[in-house]
Amino acid sequence: MSLLIGAFTVGLILSLLALGVFISFRIFAFPDITAEGSITLGAAVAATLLVNGTSPPLATLAGAAAGALAGTATGLIHTRFNVNGLLSGILVMTSLYSINLHVMGKSNVPLLSGDNLTTEAEAAGRRVLGADSLNLWGWDVGTRDFSVLILSALAIAAVAALLYVFFRTNIGTAMRATGDNDQMIRALGVNHGNMIVFGLAVSNGLVALSGALLAQYQGFADVQMGIGMLVWGLASVIIGEALVGTRQLGFALTGAVMGSVLFRLLVAIALRWGVNPNDLKLITAIFVFAALILPGMLEKMKRQRIPGKGGQPAGA
Amino acid sequence: MLRVRDVWKTFNAGTPNEVRSLQGVNLDLDSGSFVIIIGTNGSGKSTLLNAVAGTWSVDAGKIELDGRDVTRWPEYKRAALLGRVFQNPFSGTAPNLSIAENVALAARRGMRRGLGWSRERKVMDQIRGAVRQLNMGLENRLDNAIGSLSGGQRQALTLMMATWVQPKLLLLDEHTAALDPKSADKVIRLSEEIISRDKLTSLMVTHSMHQAVHLGDRLIMMHRGKVIHDYRGAEKRRLSPEDLLARFEDLRRADQLDESAAEMLRRTYV
Repeated sequence: MSLLIGAFTVGLILSLLALGVFISFRIFAFPDITAEGSITLGAAVAATLLVNGTSPPLATLAGAAAGALAGTATGLIHTRFNVNGLLSGILVMTSLYSINLHVMGKSNVPLLSGDNLTTEAEAAGRRVLGADSLNLWGWDVGTRDFSVLILSALAIAAVAALLYVFFRTNIGTAMRATGDNDQMIRALGVNHGNMIVFGLAVSNGLVALSGALLAQYQGFADVQMGIGMLVWGLASVIIGEALVGTRQLGFALTGAVMGSVLFRLLVAIALRWGVNPNDLKLITAIFVFAALILPGMLEKMKRQRIPGKGGQPAGA
Repeated sequence: MLRVRDVWKTFNAGTPNEVRSLQGVNLDLDSGSFVIIIGTNGSGKSTLLNAVAGTWSVDAGKIELDGRDVTRWPEYKRAALLGRVFQNPFSGTAPNLSIAENVALAARRGMRRGLGWSRERKVMDQIRGAVRQLNMGLENRLDNAIGSLSGGQRQALTLMMATWVQPKLLLLDEHTAALDPKSADKVIRLSEEIISRDKLTSLMVTHSMHQAVHLGDRLIMMHRGKVIHDYRGAEKRRLSPEDLLARFEDLRRADQLDESAAEMLRRTYV
């Protein structure tokens, strides 16, 4: 049960990563690999501040803000200097590796003593429940696990709702249109370069927030923790799209969160079955590859089955 | 309203693909005039429209809009003064956004976009009313993605969006060329209606001799990056499709003469 709750919690925390990846990949169609550096940056900044005695909420927000700066850097390199999008992300991600080491001063910062959001959530849970553990449908659940899970769920719901509202405002709608049709949005008087910079800042801010929370949940920040995160986020987005579809903005956002949680559960089950943890990234990459090519292949097979009805899909 | 002064534009300069698209174009548009541009392929019609819209910066020359020198303005800034409809009916709308969201975006062309609700009730009511007037049955599908509509429907909506905030100048770039005849007819009639209703200054590129003759109060013919004919007033009203075809035939002959002369010279000297 503890394992299940743990997978759920990590899934919720990483759903912020999925939401960030959703913005860069799906809204802007921008393969933004900065995420791998900014998730670590968020963790590094938050952990370092916590060790130095900053209040947990402030340290977490500072981590998110640092990620937003990283996203801004990628956006500026791409739009102001016309560097290819993928390459802009790689440049920032690579420099972030050094920056993260500088921020932390070493390759790993443990958060064993002192306050952080996890201990605060635990304390709050204790105040409400007044016990070390509680009985949930016959399962014995630790107060710490339970309160962290509930509070992460609330926090993620709040962030997702905020994003939903934002994307329905004038500027948020313009941002979605920028990724959809940049010619149109310029003709309607929007500086589309600035929109991309802003969008990547929001995206990486979310990713870094995810990193800051993850560090506090797992009890350390590590300079290697970002490796493979982009593909994990993408896998979550793809699972979410399969679950609820993309017809509406609300579905897409909920899908990303659900996808992230489901993906974590799948990982937990796979590990339980005895899958070698070293193979996880390979399996995830293969999964994402399959998810990317399968729709196209199915389409092709369908077309071959109906002779004479082939040709270009509408709107090509 | 629009002043184009000696504008030059060359694409891929210094390469084998060099194209001298605009070679010293001059054009003055009076406020409220509806000007048609025709010309052969590659004569620079669309390039001229893009130069005015600011898709890229021109090599030389000056462009003034509404009394302001906009030569150095980026495209998004000029958009505050311009309404645009593109040849590709998919270029003017964002396919994954709903009809309502697309129109709401256009309703703030040239204005600040902040954290206000994009689908506020007042705007939505106006949008529903305007879409109903298109008579396409779209008023009940405002929340559908605009990508699910036909090219004709999208082009009609683009036209409505381009003129929602009254533009100082409306640029129509062969906006019916990619449509089926029935949709093209509908979009053209809608264009005429909006232009005369709002007395819009308009610049319309077309390949259709029929449209060129029947629409507008002035006609400009372009060839090889220059304006070579300019018909106004009574002269424009008297023009027939045959006259225009005859002008094109003249151009073709002149070009052929140039080519054969070049061929003769080559044979003699190479």
